Amino acid sequence: MAAVADILESVDRLPALPSTVIRLTAMLTDDQADLGEIEEVARHDEALSMAILRFANSALYGRAGREFNLRQSIVRLGGKMLLRIALEQQASKLFESAGEAYGLRRGALWRGSVGGAFAAEEMAKKHAFPDVDLCFLCGLLRDVGKLVMDAHYGADYLPMVSPHIAPGRTAVEGERAAFGADHAQIGAELALRWRLPQRIADAIRYHHEPPAEEPDHDLLFDIVHAGDIICLWAGLAIGHDGLQYKLAPHVRKGLGLGRREAELDITITWGRLRELEEMMDDSPTQGKST
Amino acid sequence: MPASPTTYAKTEVDGKVVVGVADFAVTNNPSATLVTYALGSCIGVTIYDPAAKVAGILHFMLPDSRINAEKAQQSPAMFADTGIPRLFKSAYELGAKKQRLIVCAAGGAEVLDDDGHFKVGSRNRTMIRKIFWKNNILLAADETGGSISRTLWLKMADGSVIVRNQGKERVLWPQ
Repeated sequence: MAAVADILESVDRLPALPSTVIRLTAMLTDDQADLGEIEEVARHDEALSMAILRFANSALYGRAGREFNLRQSIVRLGGKMLLRIALEQQASKLFESAGEAYGLRRGALWRGSVGGAFAAEEMAKKHAFPDVDLCFLCGLLRDVGKLVMDAHYGADYLPMVSPHIAPGRTAVEGERAAFGADHAQIGAELALRWRLPQRIADAIRYHHEPPAEEPDHDLLFDIVHAGDIICLWAGLAIGHDGLQYKLAPHVRKGLGLGRREAELDITITWGRLRELEEMMDDSPTQGKST
Repeated sequence: MPASPTTYAKTEVDGKVVVGVADFAVTNNPSATLVTYALGSCIGVTIYDPAAKVAGILHFMLPDSRINAEKAQQSPAMFADTGIPRLFKSAYELGAKKQRLIVCAAGGAEVLDDDGHFKVGSRNRTMIRKIFWKNNILLAADETGGSISRTLWLKMADGSVIVRNQGKERVLWPQ
């Protein structure tokens, strides 16, 4: 995997996982964490505090005529919802732009990331996957390798990959032919450098090509992969790579994903994303440029 | 025709009306440009009345609203069967006439190796043809299918419709 390391090492500034997310993740997975500590972390992040207040006082969570302060909002929302808000809000910074490489408009990668997270979460609930939040997190981070590709290749990406795109060939196969590595492999390596668990890195690595056979098969990878395809059908984060991806047959069969289920999932994913955008005042613009 | 330009759209910056997924816009602003991005399996439909100088664009996602009636109620532009009538009616309200409308479409791509299980793009393409055929509407030009992404533009200045993919432009109408 020399190409993966070479690409990562050549990028001056690798994307960083926001420290607020790392700290909150650690706290919220620790039963001992108290609300005072969480409040302290949130207080040091103005944008996060604002997001927490906005959610807690919104029609979804608040009561008409009553205003909740930060501490009350944290109590009201609860740990899991806090982590969710932190991830969604911080991801909007991380995935602000994939720049020229993928032809994505500002904010489009964020929409695709959150959309994939919602789709994976819905799928996890439907299949009684034991860790729904893990599916959400992996769906959210699955395309983080695109940030590295963009930082490394920028405007050179498209002319370099284009000769390797052929009918029936997926975009990741094209990337491997052009660069010796694809954005999923690079994203997985980046996740390991962020010291995220191996399973999360693997979910990123396999989000386009989940292994069908044991011992590598993992329902988590299948769910994240299916969420990615649902996202494409919902028109989220479609760049120069278009729809040049495949839904793995074992995932379609294993998750019992038929046309009706898929279309319903598309509408639910899109609807949840719209709700979130309406909630976030500063939501990025949608769409992309080609 | 209304005395001043009217646009039913969510985003307008410097005359550029950006229409998102599951959304539509109509306008009689003579200097406007309508654009919709990220057409994968979704389809973009443009309509233009050269006499009334009214145009519209729809970006729908799925063919049939029966899959989620609640969402269709909230966002009729999500589906072909609810979005297309909404687009046309809104244009009529601005003075457009059905018999003068120039209708174009782009999108309807597929993921690879679909094996006929989903065919979201293909079903979208079939649905617009069915709706237009039932309503005696001719498609003046279209570019659909494949597995590529497309951006669709309509310029009010001359009614031209442009499709862009990977930075390459093609004039869809006039041909």
